[in-house]
Amino acid sequence: MAEATEPLPAAERKFLTYDGPTAGVKYPVRVLYCGECSMPVEYCEFYPNYEKCKKWLESNLPDEFERLMSLKGEGEAGVDAEDGEKKKRQTRGGKGVVKAKKKSEPQGIKLATSKRGKKKMVTIVMGLASYDIDLKDASKFFANKFACGSNIQGEDEIVIQGDIKDDLFDILPEKWKCINEDDIDDIGEVKR
Amino acid sequence: MFKKFDDKENVSGVNNAKSSVLRGVRASVLEQFPYIADYMDQILPKKDALKLVKCHEHIEILANSSGEPVFFKQRDGPYFPTLKLLHKFPFILPHMQVDKGAIRFVLSGANIMCPGLTSPGARMTKVDDNQIVAIMAEGKDNALAIGLTKMSTQDILDKNKGIGVDNIHYLNDGLWNMKTVK
Ligand SMILES: [Zn+2]
Repeated sequence: MAEATEPLPAAERKFLTYDGPTAGVKYPVRVLYCGECSMPVEYCEFYPNYEKCKKWLESNLPDEFERLMSLKGEGEAGVDAEDGEKKKRQTRGGKGVVKAKKKSEPQGIKLATSKRGKKKMVTIVMGLASYDIDLKDASKFFANKFACGSNIQGEDEIVIQGDIKDDLFDILPEKWKCINEDDIDDIGEVKR
Repeated sequence: MFKKFDDKENVSGVNNAKSSVLRGVRASVLEQFPYIADYMDQILPKKDALKLVKCHEHIEILANSSGEPVFFKQRDGPYFPTLKLLHKFPFILPHMQVDKGAIRFVLSGANIMCPGLTSPGARMTKVDDNQIVAIMAEGKDNALAIGLTKMSTQDILDKNKGIGVDNIHYLNDGLWNMKTVK
């Protein structure tokens, strides 16, 4: 039940000052952001998927990765420190759960065709948004490229007039480097 | 403010500001944050396009010509810098440093409780209540949140109980994850 001790009185404390740019620092400051959790890399350790951050850091910022790991090593030297931390946490209400990003891994691209009326076909492209591709841009691009109608449907689908599945296998990886030809799956014809 | 914010759902419209509006914004932020004077032309250049992003709950986000959100405000309230801008120019706001134990609470969007600001790992700037501050953390170089003080620094020390600073915008909230504005 021991509550935290009384804080040091103001007279004995050191305060920070608000006094403008620091001499000798070049602005804007360049901060290293993690490609996985998007936070400054020094905060990765608080991300629920820290293991993924580590992998990203190791392959993209190897020097920074080593620096962070060596810092961490020092911190863990005393297991007591970790214990103390836990005890302190219990005195704080709430859960303090840091949320993982909703954004998941790219889900792969699925291509399907579907009949419209008796003769017409449309091609359905699914999964572009999971590659962080703007669906509006993509839909416009298809409409231009194939000189046909193209619409966004639902969360992550684009419906293009005509059967252009075969072309898409070449065009998608060409237009968006993040898509690999092997990521694209033909799921055949679907009924709508 | 942005805990549940989603730029797909909460944005109601984007406008290009008239040059008179840009002048007004420049004057207001300069008045609020006088230290940015020398960097104003990097932050919001005089002749550049300024985008006004209107969102639900009377939130307005200002994005620079490359579409990066730089300031925001709610109703007729003051302008807050975004964390991305603050990282580039950390001197915009007074700093309030929380202790290590508080970091994960702040990152989950919780308001900042007084004990997290008065413990040995914490450090404060002397400010009044209702002041926009940068939330820094023990052992870290960069801000993890932007807050609005609910009490003065002196009251935070004296009372040492309850919410000291409201958490307005934090790493990985909806504003942080907002895509660049087109
Ligand atoms: Zn990370």
